[in-house]
Parts: sequence; structure tokens; C-alpha cells
Amino acid sequence: MAYKPQYGPGTSKVAENRRKQMNPSQKLEKMRDVTDEDIVLILGHRAPGAAYPTAHPPLAEQQEPDCPIRKIVTPTDGAKAGDRVRYIQFADSMFFAPCHPYQRTYTECYRFRGIDPGTLSGRQIVECRERDLEKYSKELVETELLDPARTGIRGATVHGHSLRLAENGMMFDMLQRSVLGEDGIVRYVKNQIGEPLDRAVAIGKPLDEKWLKAHTTIFHSLGGTPYRDDAEYIEYVQRIHSLRTKYGFMPKE
Amino acid sequence: MTEAIYPQVRIVSARFLRPDTAEQLLNRLVQVGGIRRMSINGPSIPETVPYGPARGKPNPHPDRKVIRVGDQDVQLQVQVGTIILELEDESYIPAICEAVDEVFADKDFSCTVQQGRYMKTQPTMSDYAKYGPDADKEILGLVDPRKKGGPVIIQGTK
Repeated sequence: MAYKPQYGPGTSKVAENRRKQMNPSQKLEKMRDVTDEDIVLILGHRAPGAAYPTAHPPLAEQQEPDCPIRKIVTPTDGAKAGDRVRYIQFADSMFFAPCHPYQRTYTECYRFRGIDPGTLSGRQIVECRERDLEKYSKELVETELLDPARTGIRGATVHGHSLRLAENGMMFDMLQRSVLGEDGIVRYVKNQIGEPLDRAVAIGKPLDEKWLKAHTTIFHSLGGTPYRDDAEYIEYVQRIHSLRTKYGFMPKE
Repeated sequence: MTEAIYPQVRIVSARFLRPDTAEQLLNRLVQVGGIRRMSINGPSIPETVPYGPARGKPNPHPDRKVIRVGDQDVQLQVQVGTIILELEDESYIPAICEAVDEVFADKDFSCTVQQGRYMKTQPTMSDYAKYGPDADKEILGLVDPRKKGGPVIIQGTK
């Protein structure tokens, strides 16, 4: 019987949202339009229109060792061209952000190739070849994985995910990279590491509370879906916990 | 250090305050009177980028502003989230609750006033190790006594 991934346990809406994001056969809902140039500006790794700096010559120009793995794995576009490895990092507010660090890592591992995600409690970084990064970042920014107010693209000084929101509903950002305008549109005025941009990059209106609560992947006992209400999820986590605790004693189920 | 005989209250809003809301709230509190000391807490908004590749570059932030409280200018260095007050006596607490309710009446989030002990009453061993025996006891336990620029003194009516 062919292996069919289940993506995750749980009967609640939150669990369902998590599975939906992880499942690569489910198309993520597109929420906004951001141009390639906008993405390059927010990332701040190279000037828009500049050539991709390289870390090594293109694979076609260099002698590859005779390696069976290299024959099986097709290199990504960035690897083929020898691009540098660059990153994008997100901070997600615990107030019903559509995604969160662990979820991002799972989602990216299922959906993208040639990536190296790093997961922390309040932020998640993903590294890959620059060309691929821009392609993946565009998908991460344009789809339902991002809310302009409660998700921040923050390369450094990410503090804010567990803090109260600001009066206007934006997540706290020490460097105020994104600003909510009078017209209700969020604009990035600095790149992800906090250098001012030549022009503001609009990434759309913040999503409303109702949408966020319906699409969040975060359990939250205050106003959201409490974790303890999802018995299946708890059972699964308890089983893993118990097995890893007993592992040294060679458990037999 | 504070004397344990003075009551303390903490004002906590459900959201971080904009500088103009903070200004409005603080001015309303100053009108109530009876405040010995006040400390404004919240996450810091630094003048320059503290770390990362852009470290040391200026950090223009719309919420790092000078606000006018009473007859003094106050430079905000944090995004206001909590205000701790030390009062002369408990009789001022109802008036403070009323003032807070008044300011937050037209906002779509709440703000609570809690009574308890929020300022240090004795220097700790770590305070002694960090700041030495001659640290300014007036502000120890509220802010870093080594910080340049002392407290802002708002003249009362007494």
C-alpha cells in the first residue's frame, strides 16, 4: 500500500488549517499581489535588477564528481546557477497569525526544495539559494500564510510575537519596518534588517479578526480554539511524549 | 527605594498605546494628583538599530516621540504598555480608575487598574553588585540608575 501522509492529528479547525497548509496538493489561497521587485526590496540582499552574485561557477561549467546522489537529485535553479545562500525570516504574532514558526517549517519542507529552515520560538528563518528564495518568498508573502499586520518580515530585531498588539492592530516592531497607513494599507518602509527603503512597498490591508480566527494555525485559549479542546491532538502529543520518555527502556507497544 | 507604606497601582491596557493616547492618559492622571512616582514600561524603541547587519544605523520610529505631560516634555523611549504609580494614599485610587475609564471610553480595547506592589522596596544583591553601594535609591528598582538623564519631575499643586 502506498504511503499516504496524514500531515498531522487533530479534529479542530486549527488542526485542519495546519494540514491544509502542509499538504502540497492543496493550493494556498492567494490574498495579495506583490511584484518581484517589491520582494527584492524587502529582502534587501541585492539591488533590484542587479545580477545574482555567485558563490561558485554554474554547475554546467564545473566538473562534478561521479556521485550517484547527484544523478538522482535535480539541482534547483539557484543551485544550477551557483547563487549565494540568502534568507528570509518571519515573526508571527501569537494573536491568531495565520502561520507560526513550526508550522512554517513543516509547510516549507513539504512545498519547497533545497531549503534550510531554522525554527525558533518566535521567528522562523529559511535559507536557500537567492533565486529560489525570491520565488519562495513571493509565495510566502502573497498567499494566506501572511497577514500584513500580524506577520512581520524581520531579518533582525524580531521581538514582538508574544507582545500585545499596538492600538491599530499591528504587531510591535522595534524598528517599525511596516507602517499601517491612513488608507488602511500596510507598507514596508524598511527592508527586513531595518534599512530604510527608497520607496514604500505596499503589501495590502490587514485581514480582519474573523478571517484570522477562521484561518489561524495557533491554538489559543483566549478567544480562539483552546488546545485542550482537541482531544485527538492531545492524545497524539501525549503518546509521543510517553514514547520518547520511555525510549531508553526499549518500549514495546 | 520606595517605602512600603505607599500604595501602588499598575495601569495595564490590552493594547500598546500610541504616543498621543499615552499623553492624554498621563495628563489625565497628573490632574488627579497624589502621585509620588510614576514609571512608564513597555518594549524599548531604540534610537539606533541595536543588532543585526544594520547595527548602529539610525532607527526612525514614529512612536519614539517627545510628549508633553503636565508642564514637562517627556521623551518616550518605549512603546507604552504599562504605567506603574506610587500614590500618597489609597484615597486617590477611585479617581485614577475613573480617569482611566474616561480616557479609554471611546477605545475598542480595555484597560485595567490593579493594586499591588510593583516597585522594589529593597535593593537586591544583584543591584548591589551591578550598581554599587552609592546607586541612586530614588530610581533603583524602576530604571537603570546608571542611565544618563534623571527622572522627569512634574510639579504638583502642593
